[in-house]
Amino acid sequence: MNFLRAAVRQVVGLFVSDWVQAGVVLAIIAAGWLAVSRLGTPAVAVFVLLIAAQLVWFARAEGVTKSRQQSPS
Amino acid sequence: MGQQVFIFGAAFLGSAVEATEALTIVLAVGLTRGWRAPLLGTVAAIVALAALVILFGQLIVTRIPDSALKLLVGTLLLLFGLNWLHKAVLRSAGAVAMRDEARAYQQTVSQLQEAQQQEKQSRTDWAGFVLALKGVFLEGLEVVFIVIGVGGTGHGLPTAVAGGLIAAAVVAAVGFFVRRPLARVPENTLKYGVGVILTSLGTFWAAEGMGATWPGDFLSIFVLVAVYFGASRLAVELIRRPALA
Repeated sequence: MNFLRAAVRQVVGLFVSDWVQAGVVLAIIAAGWLAVSRLGTPAVAVFVLLIAAQLVWFARAEGVTKSRQQSPS
Repeated sequence: MGQQVFIFGAAFLGSAVEATEALTIVLAVGLTRGWRAPLLGTVAAIVALAALVILFGQLIVTRIPDSALKLLVGTLLLLFGLNWLHKAVLRSAGAVAMRDEARAYQQTVSQLQEAQQQEKQSRTDWAGFVLALKGVFLEGLEVVFIVIGVGGTGHGLPTAVAGGLIAAAVVAAVGFFVRRPLARVPENTLKYGVGVILTSLGTFWAAEGMGATWPGDFLSIFVLVAVYFGASRLAVELIRRPALA
């Protein structure tokens, strides 16, 4: 049972380490889907930039917090 | 041809990283408690993985329409790749410790020694069996996902499977001869590179699933790689020098 629970946790962990970030990515994909169906291929450029921007935002937020924890002075 | 080389390379590198992690666990069990239990655990994990791939692979490919499949695989690959890339950025910026196979090996050995003190004399080494089974199964799941994600939605599946199998065989062969954790594999750099590639492929498939057509078709992946690599370097710089943010 413990093995199964650990396996499920690990499988989910492959895709999601931060639920907020995963939610934002899914929201961007959903918005991209709507935009591509209405505006066509040019909307893909905005989709890519939003994905890249969220990567920078979430990595910076976690990185700065972790760096501060490592050097409390 | 270029597309096939790219798919082979992505599957090979991603699978090599995961196979190295699985090898560390199997070596730790085998060298401290004998080889029978970890080898049985490894075989059991491979059989379980093969059964999963055959069962779900058939279901997914035969039941889900092509565009929905691309969107589904693309979304999962995007989440998976971003997860790797996010961790790689934190490691690269020094905010999180680099993964170290020698340390992972030592942790597994201490875990086994604790289990050995607790368990009674038994003919079967269940702790060794379960540890190897769990390690190979979970790392193997990542290999399976990388191979299906990289090659599964196009005509690249045989190439991706070849990349994954050759990577696993190379890592197993090197591990067999070296008999210690492969600490010199540049695992963190590989994970960074593969994270960028998987994120780019995920974006590519997801957008195709949405109905978009990419200018230059597969060549646009190289633009995506450049965009995500640039974004990740920007994130590293912002973490190292928070005053810039």
